Amino acid sequence: MKPGAFTLVFPLLAFAILPACRQNSAPVAVESLGRAYDTELDWNDPQRVIPLNYQQALGKRVFYEKCVWCHADSTPAGPSNRSNLNPNPPLINDGATLNAVSDEFLQNIVTLGGSAMGRSAMMSPWGRTLTQDEILAVIAFIRVVAQPPYQPSVQPKSQYTGK
Amino acid sequence: MSAEEMGKVSRRQRATFAFVSVALVAVLAVSPVKDYFREWKRYERDYVRYAQARPDTKRLLADFHFGIDQIWLPEMKVVDRCTTCHQGITEASLRGPSIPQPFRAHPAVPHGVRDWGCVVCHRGQGPATEVAEAHETTLAWEQPLLAISYIQASCGVCHREDIPQTPKLNRGRQLLSELNCEGCHRMDGLERPAMLGPDLTSVGNKVSRAWLDKWLKEPYTVVDKDGNILVNGYETEGEPRMPQFRLNEQEIPALSAYLSTLKSLPAEPYKFDTRVVAALQNKPEVADLGEIRFRQMFCTTCHSVAVTRGGETKLIGGNIGPELTKVGSKVDPDWLIAWLRNPQAFLPHGLMPGYQWSDSDLYEVSRYILAKLTDADLLKNIPPRKGPGPDEVRLGHQLFQEKGCASCHLVQGVGIQKDFGPDLSNIGGKNVSQLDFGNSITPRNLVSYIRAKITDPLSVNTAARMPRYRLNPVDLEAITTALLGMTGSLSNRGLERLIIPRKSADFHPAGAFGKVYERYKCYVCHRFNGYGGTLAPDLSFEGSRAQRRWMIDFLENPQTLRPTLTFRMPQFNMTDEEARIAADYLVMVTQSPSVDLSVADPKRFTPERANLGKQLYEVRYQCQSCHTIGASGGYVGPNLSNAGNWLNGAWIEGWLKDPQTLVPGAIEPRRTFANEELEALTAYLLTLKQSSPPKAGAGGAQ
Repeated sequence: MKPGAFTLVFPLLAFAILPACRQNSAPVAVESLGRAYDTELDWNDPQRVIPLNYQQALGKRVFYEKCVWCHADSTPAGPSNRSNLNPNPPLINDGATLNAVSDEFLQNIVTLGGSAMGRSAMMSPWGRTLTQDEILAVIAFIRVVAQPPYQPSVQPKSQYTGK
Repeated sequence: MSAEEMGKVSRRQRATFAFVSVALVAVLAVSPVKDYFREWKRYERDYVRYAQARPDTKRLLADFHFGIDQIWLPEMKVVDRCTTCHQGITEASLRGPSIPQPFRAHPAVPHGVRDWGCVVCHRGQGPATEVAEAHETTLAWEQPLLAISYIQASCGVCHREDIPQTPKLNRGRQLLSELNCEGCHRMDGLERPAMLGPDLTSVGNKVSRAWLDKWLKEPYTVVDKDGNILVNGYETEGEPRMPQFRLNEQEIPALSAYLSTLKSLPAEPYKFDTRVVAALQNKPEVADLGEIRFRQMFCTTCHSVAVTRGGETKLIGGNIGPELTKVGSKVDPDWLIAWLRNPQAFLPHGLMPGYQWSDSDLYEVSRYILAKLTDADLLKNIPPRKGPGPDEVRLGHQLFQEKGCASCHLVQGVGIQKDFGPDLSNIGGKNVSQLDFGNSITPRNLVSYIRAKITDPLSVNTAARMPRYRLNPVDLEAITTALLGMTGSLSNRGLERLIIPRKSADFHPAGAFGKVYERYKCYVCHRFNGYGGTLAPDLSFEGSRAQRRWMIDFLENPQTLRPTLTFRMPQFNMTDEEARIAADYLVMVTQSPSVDLSVADPKRFTPERANLGKQLYEVRYQCQSCHTIGASGGYVGPNLSNAGNWLNGAWIEGWLKDPQTLVPGAIEPRRTFANEELEALTAYLLTLKQSSPPKAGAGGAQ
């Protein structure tokens, strides 16, 4: 009787406990899937592929439609207008310049134009052409392609930093 | 057994009874214990702990309750329990990579999670409550999650019309149509004109058999050791459209024999004006003059040619037509001249415009092509062949049909073969068990299958008839995305009513303008009400924008408004009558409803206003950062030096108010101009006039 009872009970107990042992095995596999919505090649190093999330990819699209003409050295249509302008507009991946300014400043200068922010009037106001979501997306794109890489100087307090 | 003994229970029995009771309790406890340890319950407890550790606990837990959480959308047959674990999916404060999964919020996309569920876009198993079953392929649940890098495929399930948010999908669909995949495969919802390969009805007059041999062996492309696609030895970004077929040493000569007998259109030598020939034939620089003319006519807007600059050789030019670096060693001289004079006689569905040639231009340009765009070694390694024998021709004709050549190429006597390959309408909705991997080492999932099949069709099926395409990695991903988006009929998924069909807006005007339009193939580069190419400006509202006189001058002698562009309008040598017909049609028909030319009163545009406008242009708004006037200014917008002869006043005002209503996607930002400023700027721009540019023609007699 005794061995019989054990053969009955033991597997059942084991079966009950098993699922608890399967901790965290599956989510790892999910994380390893291709997670980039889009990619951009690093302008300084074409071997380096920068993964973009949805918002950054939206920013990339807006950038290549509206901004690339003056904030890049080559454009989809050929030469750039950048060298033509004085002062020279910064390249979009110019981290040395753009990492120093805040998101709010970038949002304002894109929305209201250069003259409203005390900069060159050659920078047009885009607030009536682009939506605020699109402008924030462009800023997200600026941050992700920045060379040297962008590190927000002031970490947002606990709200966004998890446990 | 006595009566006394019956009431007694032996020690041994007691022990057994006690043990069985315990065992029973334990067995009964299995179910609640197992239930307690369910994966999703663990995630829910973790979420509560996580929320409690954050300052916004109250908001995060406002809608929380223990238990299965699901999004149920009966009309779309959606039962998604993903939010049971992905608790923070709609919490804006949980956005960003610093939040641990599965609690991270979804990025802000046009479709809300609560309205659409998750599986509609991400695939996987909505009703599953275990991580593995929801995300991966298991025995009972076949559909795995779609990797984010292919997620645009899901947009394409409903959005048959291209949308700006899905560049990868749009590129993939464009490739499917450019490579004429529909020639062999059935693909619902693509609905765009197939790009057929050349008409081979008289290919025997066009090229030699030796050239056909070379082409069939190595169509267009060579791949160097680094995997770059080379055209005639030069690296290219464009996709070669002709794929490589696996043809053996008997099949190549048979096909070339058959093709070299196709000569239904006679190519009779063209008789040039004897005076032109006399003047040019002994001129040593005739080919150089032809090259100048070739460039002036902007043939390179559509065709690329290898150019060496600063020691580096690369292809310069467009990819609408074939690359021409060695075309002089390919085509028959008489055929070339017949083709240049009237390409539409050979290929009515082709993209080549019918230029108006003067004899001297034609002579010079053809001399240039035949003398300079050549390579004496092109056919060096091709073994000499005898004239085509009847057996070879018969085998070649048979091969032409068996290999599916007729799916892309027309010849007389062979109908277009539709549905030559498998139906791909539902390729993106297939489960792994429906795919035949053979003995290949390809990972068993749909994405790997599609990628392997396109990269090398033999890799998953050694008997595949499909030829091999050379796609660069970016285009391979794009075409895979487009195929993953083809999930067949949606009626069983309740999504059918959500389909946004692709607009097929063919624009083929009739009458005199129709003839001009078809002859010069305006729609290859320009767009008319959503139909046509995107290389050149959209002409849907050209009649509101430009003045008639300017249009005629421009058509007769196109001077680019954007001097930095590599691709410019070719010099067609249009006749005055053709230019008038085109300008009249554009003025009458292509009018924007939001520009009323009749209200533009020229009296409003006084010199004082123009002076104010000049101030605004130069100082306040610094328009010169993007526009050129005279010799200075930027390159982003068009050159405005001749705006007064070019643009209508009402258009300028309408444009300054809101550029994007007149040209969707225009680069110019919309600003808030006061009415006086609008009038002043318009008045200023209308004062900018140049005398008509001189007729082009250095080196070419008109």
